[in-house]
Amino acid sequence: MSIVTTASPDLRALDEAAFAARYGADRFTCEVLANRGRYVAEHICTALLHRAFSPIITFSQDFVGAVIGAPEAGYPLTAVNKGNVIFLGSLATGVRTTIEEFGLDRLAPGDLVICNDPFRVGNHVNDMCFIRPVFHAGKVAGFVVIRAHQLDMGGTVPGGFSLLKANVFENGLVMSPQRLFHRGEPVREAMRTIIDNTRFGDLLLPDFHTIHACCALGERLLVESIGRYGTAAWHGAMRYTVDAAAAAMQDAIASLPDGTWTGEDFVDSDGRDAARAYRLQVTVRKQGRHLEVDLGGCSAQSPTALNATALDAQTAVALALKLVLDPHTPFTSGLYRDIDVVIPTGSIASAVPDAAVMFYFEVQSALVNAMLRALAAPLGSRAIGGAYGSTNLHTGAGTTADGTPWFSAAELEAQYGAWGATDSGDGNNHCGLAMLNMIMPAVEDIEPRVPARILDREYVADTAGPGRHRGGAGLAKQSVFLAPGDHYLVPLHFRTASGSGVAGGGDGRTGGAWWLHVDTGSARVEGALPPVDDFTAAEPVAGHLDGDTLAPDAAGEFAFFGRLPVWQREAGAVLRWRTNGGGGWGEAYTRDPQAVLRDVRDGYVSIAGAARDYGVCVVGDPDEDPEGIAVDETATARLREVGPPREHTPAPAATPDCVAGVHLERESVTGACPACGAQALARYPVLSEGGWYRVLKCQACLAAVERVADDAGPIALKSRLV
Amino acid sequence: MAVDVGGTFTDVVAVRDGRIETVKVPTDLADSARGVLAGLAEIGIADAAVFNHASTAGLNAVLTRRLPKVALLCTAGHRDILDIGRNWRPAEAVSDPRWQRSFSDVARPLVPRYLRRGVDERLHPDGNVLRALDEAQARAQIRVLGRCRVEGVAIALLHGYVDAVHERRLRELVREELGDIPCAISGEVSPLAGEYPRTVTTVIDVMMRLIYGDYTARLGRGLAELGFGGRWHYADCAAMLAPVETAMARPSRIIFSGPAAGTTASAHFGALLGESRLICADVGGTSTDVSVVLEGRPVVDTQVELEHDLPVSTLSNAITSVGAGGGSIVSAGRAGEIRVGPESAGAAPGPACYDAGGTAPTMTDACLLIGILDATRFMGGRRTLSYARAEAAFAALDTPLDLSRRVQGAFDTGLANIAEGILDIVIGNGIDPRDFVLMCYGAAGPMLLPAVLPLVQARAAIVPPHPGLFSALGLLSADRVFMESRSRYVQLEPACAEMIDAIYRELEAAVRAQLGDDIGEAVLLRSFDARMVGQAYETPFIDAPDGPIDAAAVAAMVARFHDTYERRTGNRFDAVPVQAVTFRVRAAVAVARATFAGVPVRTAGSAEPRRSVTLSHLAGGPWQAGEYERAELLAGDVIPGPAIVREPLSTTYLPPAHRLTVGALGELVITAEPRA
Repeated sequence: MSIVTTASPDLRALDEAAFAARYGADRFTCEVLANRGRYVAEHICTALLHRAFSPIITFSQDFVGAVIGAPEAGYPLTAVNKGNVIFLGSLATGVRTTIEEFGLDRLAPGDLVICNDPFRVGNHVNDMCFIRPVFHAGKVAGFVVIRAHQLDMGGTVPGGFSLLKANVFENGLVMSPQRLFHRGEPVREAMRTIIDNTRFGDLLLPDFHTIHACCALGERLLVESIGRYGTAAWHGAMRYTVDAAAAAMQDAIASLPDGTWTGEDFVDSDGRDAARAYRLQVTVRKQGRHLEVDLGGCSAQSPTALNATALDAQTAVALALKLVLDPHTPFTSGLYRDIDVVIPTGSIASAVPDAAVMFYFEVQSALVNAMLRALAAPLGSRAIGGAYGSTNLHTGAGTTADGTPWFSAAELEAQYGAWGATDSGDGNNHCGLAMLNMIMPAVEDIEPRVPARILDREYVADTAGPGRHRGGAGLAKQSVFLAPGDHYLVPLHFRTASGSGVAGGGDGRTGGAWWLHVDTGSARVEGALPPVDDFTAAEPVAGHLDGDTLAPDAAGEFAFFGRLPVWQREAGAVLRWRTNGGGGWGEAYTRDPQAVLRDVRDGYVSIAGAARDYGVCVVGDPDEDPEGIAVDETATARLREVGPPREHTPAPAATPDCVAGVHLERESVTGACPACGAQALARYPVLSEGGWYRVLKCQACLAAVERVADDAGPIALKSRLV
Repeated sequence: MAVDVGGTFTDVVAVRDGRIETVKVPTDLADSARGVLAGLAEIGIADAAVFNHASTAGLNAVLTRRLPKVALLCTAGHRDILDIGRNWRPAEAVSDPRWQRSFSDVARPLVPRYLRRGVDERLHPDGNVLRALDEAQARAQIRVLGRCRVEGVAIALLHGYVDAVHERRLRELVREELGDIPCAISGEVSPLAGEYPRTVTTVIDVMMRLIYGDYTARLGRGLAELGFGGRWHYADCAAMLAPVETAMARPSRIIFSGPAAGTTASAHFGALLGESRLICADVGGTSTDVSVVLEGRPVVDTQVELEHDLPVSTLSNAITSVGAGGGSIVSAGRAGEIRVGPESAGAAPGPACYDAGGTAPTMTDACLLIGILDATRFMGGRRTLSYARAEAAFAALDTPLDLSRRVQGAFDTGLANIAEGILDIVIGNGIDPRDFVLMCYGAAGPMLLPAVLPLVQARAAIVPPHPGLFSALGLLSADRVFMESRSRYVQLEPACAEMIDAIYRELEAAVRAQLGDDIGEAVLLRSFDARMVGQAYETPFIDAPDGPIDAAAVAAMVARFHDTYERRTGNRFDAVPVQAVTFRVRAAVAVARATFAGVPVRTAGSAEPRRSVTLSHLAGGPWQAGEYERAELLAGDVIPGPAIVREPLSTTYLPPAHRLTVGALGELVITAEPRA
């Protein structure tokens, strides 16, 4: 037996001749071509953003563009735009699966192949993969890919964002790998299949043509580059850019000490069962240059649409490592090379048919959080605070008084929020989750289309996780509906704090969701609006809430959003959200008093909060005379000398009861490890760069003795019968 | 007479009797008006008919946040829009947990949160009132701002572009409570949908009133003392000239005026040469600004982005900036590869060869080591360059490459970065570069851009006269432009002809009211921005028919939309209804333009090099290159590459396998040698 290594070449040590021999071109040419790929990915996305018809594409930018390398190089993901990492992580394996099933030899110039099956390409059915082969000299030299959220793919509810979809049949239309365009011409039967089975076909159809044009533009630009620099340089550059990312991650992993660390986070509920949450658990092991992440202990897959596939789990695990270890290297599939993810089959993060996979991003968010918690110990001051947790999605549909139907998806919830603080500063108040990078639609884009008015979108004092650097603040958001409608609400992270503090920082406060009502007769609201901190007339939807005031309180009762499958509301209904605060970094009692004063002036911290959470005594009236306030130095010194009150932050919510976890059994194999000599070999599947492998690894030092590609992985598709 | 105040240098350009005079002086950062007046006094402005002015003072104030204290009054519940923006991160921060939004409250806000105050009021998107304005509450908020002694107030309410009724009333309340301080409302400054860009634009407008208002007053007094009695204009973001009073009424228009002038200079100079399709590249110390002239006119955007996701809505020459210029720092990446920029050595300490404390190698150092720059003649001989410092800086890079490969790698990578920027805008405009010429200017432009020619495949590269001050010449190449626009979402159907007719007539009346003495000369041009129903982004600047708008004219607007959309995108969706979004009217009045005296045609002999210089570290080299003096070249001269052409403030590098021809206006036209 000998060791099988995934080690990347030491690119810096290669002399020019060795470099050119390995990559078919010099460093300069490889850099030029790598940049060209990224720039092509960015351009096709700008074109789509500006020309699309679907609001979720053009207002929210819920799509990505990418360049994939040649089949013989293993379909590497070589270049991406500045989009959602959730789409990018599964692309390399997804495109390979799609093209191999469709048949590489059947591809013709001008084809556009599609697939949206989560079990083949990750994500959910709305995220259609559009794949254009790049033909050069009669051969497929790579692929231009757009992955874009389709407003609707059929299924039980408009838009698809219902948690209660129970299986693939309720989830939406699955398009197995097939052509949408052939030799530049539309494949009308495929288009008709989609349009006959989905809502809003009038929006989808022109978008298909535009996406086709954008991919064709990408191919033309790449073909010009290949023509200029040559095929050898092109293929070499694609290998180079992936190797460079792999090498960067390899070095970053080496910066961690050896050890084993666990972390967990929770998703509130599957929407049916109030009693049980879902656990995302990770065990991170690092030995020498090897790193393994085991998802054993993650709750079993849900009977609702709260599921992700293994490709999504891989994305989340690798992204978490990238966030803390190597944030700046451009994203490629080389990131995965030295990260073996051990994934038990049938967990919430690795669902198998016939599970409904829809809210995979919620699973990913909790998984990223579990990873960040596991890594907090070895990272020490490099650890980063947790973010706001859930996208809290809302979908609404109904009919206005004059009979016009209305529909709104993913724009009236509180989809964005606080980031955690880091060693370099306070956390942003308003961003996408780490896996998301979307545009927030403007109020003035939403309101002409939807009978709703966004009344508030403002940060709330004393919600940020206190720290030497504080986390981002929680957001209060309220919208009033002017027409009756059916509302689907999916808030999934109010049960426990998502914004974990690190390096001595405090957790961000948890939020919740509520319904209120105002009179909107004659389309006017008279008098004062319900203040965002008054809950007395509210009907709880989600969160741990105080029994009397209904305000967020970690020790309070958990309001279950799923107690109604659909929230049917009349005109005048007000939907209120409060997002979780981001985690603080460092001891709050060491924060610069002038920074606390500024926070009080700006309303991020109250005078009481400054004293309680930061040990800073601020005097004056920040509302009426914001520049008249000051730090009372003597009182501050006294407060800081005493230190934080024992109960200065609310006790965290108790660990919820969870759906039982699943584990992957590793098959023991007799023999000694050739690297360390231990009698600890075991065989099991892992997900790594390029897809699934069956590995034989030493459980003592994590060196691999065997590494065999296993295309199928553990998921059995029914359509394999065909 | 024109003055372009940059962050480092102030360029003064005068055209007298067809002759161009130029002065380049350091910008007086403490008081740029004083520097401008000193420059004007030196060159003499008393007899000038026109004074055109561009300044980066406003932009620099925003970028450095040395801003006046301006408050925002907005719809209650929405003050944090200035912390949120459009929410997204730039490409380099997609997976960076330490990234902070540059204008957010945790970084460097334009308006601190306590000066952003919500007012109880709310409009529906059609302008009807959802909640009446609570004047008592509004007054209380304004009084808080008074206690904070704000210098100006921006008012931007939701749907204020549809009906500014609440905004106007709030402005009256501000006047009553705070007196006559600068105050702008979004419904007048930028009546466009999209609360975030409109709010930013309104805030910036008030800030620019404060920054440029006082400056303009001081400059006006100084000009009067110098005896200037002509017309005074500011150049705006599209290098269109606005009379000073017009500019001061909406000063967000002039925030980014310097770079735009280069595109306009190119358009003007191109027209003199008979070239109407230009890729314009301005290589400065820190960056290269690339823009496009199509059919003789600069390509114009409807927004300019000052930082990532910080947009100002104003017409602006579309400029892509690449972090590659003469001062761009060369470094070694983790794989040993050579990288250039985006960091720059700036003017101080400057490139290593300045021997002024800079230790990092730059593009300028690479050009010195190659032999393109002459160590004794830099900046007209005002500075001697240190070859040893440049070489030491390259030697210190951590890479296995030898010196030659380092220098060559830096030069080639810098060129490749510039080429990517050029390609970026070429693709963005859907043009074929082979139909275009590359206009090369900026101090470092002629030194770098001709070598980019093979990478971008433009037909030819042209180095105009005065390449280092060419942008300022754009200020003497522009029209005086008056314009009005209005957003109104109208599905283009026969029934709305009357409404559109009324909008155009109203806009034309407003433009005529601005025209004053120019009314006789001005031609009013209509255009509109539109999209297909469902789309979020508009296709801008579609020509609209003249005369009364009737059903036939509306049909023509629809047809023109589909034709324009197909030409720009390649897709056509005739079945989808078209929605007009913004209606525009502009009137341009010609202003005296710079002329170029030209150089005589050579009648005898040929251009002779002063000497031969060795070019090292280049592919296929070393090369022997002839060194020419630009002042000695005559029209019709042909020079084979490799060669160097020197003039006091610039050096032109003619690569091997290229040839240079001198044109009648003294321009250097560089083309690839036809392949043998």
